[in-house]
Amino acid sequence: MDPSSPAASAELQRFIEQEKEKAMVSEMVGKLTNACWDKCITGTPGTKFSSSEQTCLTNCAQRYIDMSVIIMKRFQSMH
Amino acid sequence: MDPYSSSSASSGSSGPSTEAIMDQLKNQLAQAYAEEFLEALKLTFLLFLTVRGKCFTKCITKPGTSLSGSESSCVSRCVDRYIEATGIIGRALFSSQR
Repeated sequence: MDPSSPAASAELQRFIEQEKEKAMVSEMVGKLTNACWDKCITGTPGTKFSSSEQTCLTNCAQRYIDMSVIIMKRFQSMH
Repeated sequence: MDPYSSSSASSGSSGPSTEAIMDQLKNQLAQAYAEEFLEALKLTFLLFLTVRGKCFTKCITKPGTSLSGSESSCVSRCVDRYIEATGIIGRALFSSQR
């Protein structure tokens, strides 16, 4: 394919967007893991997560998203 | 296939030659790969710093004259659990009900 054709540049653009999204996602996961680790893993790390630790991590991530939504809404209503 | 075979780019009088354009593209690509590699390296190093901090807090509670066996096995488990936690968080965000 001609690299300078509009189709190729659109495809490249799409690819770049996808990669940016992937980077944002892994950055988000990294930040959340950091925060939720402190909240949920209170004892010394064992050979396996307990089910309560596992649930805590899952809840922690999902509540973080809920919280983000609330904060964003709050910001929007201020302007 | 040669993308420029039907054009007159190689005639010389109008703009750079096909080879010049391809060379330039190759250089740009190589540079992009190098940047991506460095970025990945940076991210890995940042993860290393994070995990090191977390596991130091968890496992080396009273630093002695040398790292004890239980401390080193704690660090190994800590690293494994941190990676596992990353997976759990990822799944919590991007699967099933959400």
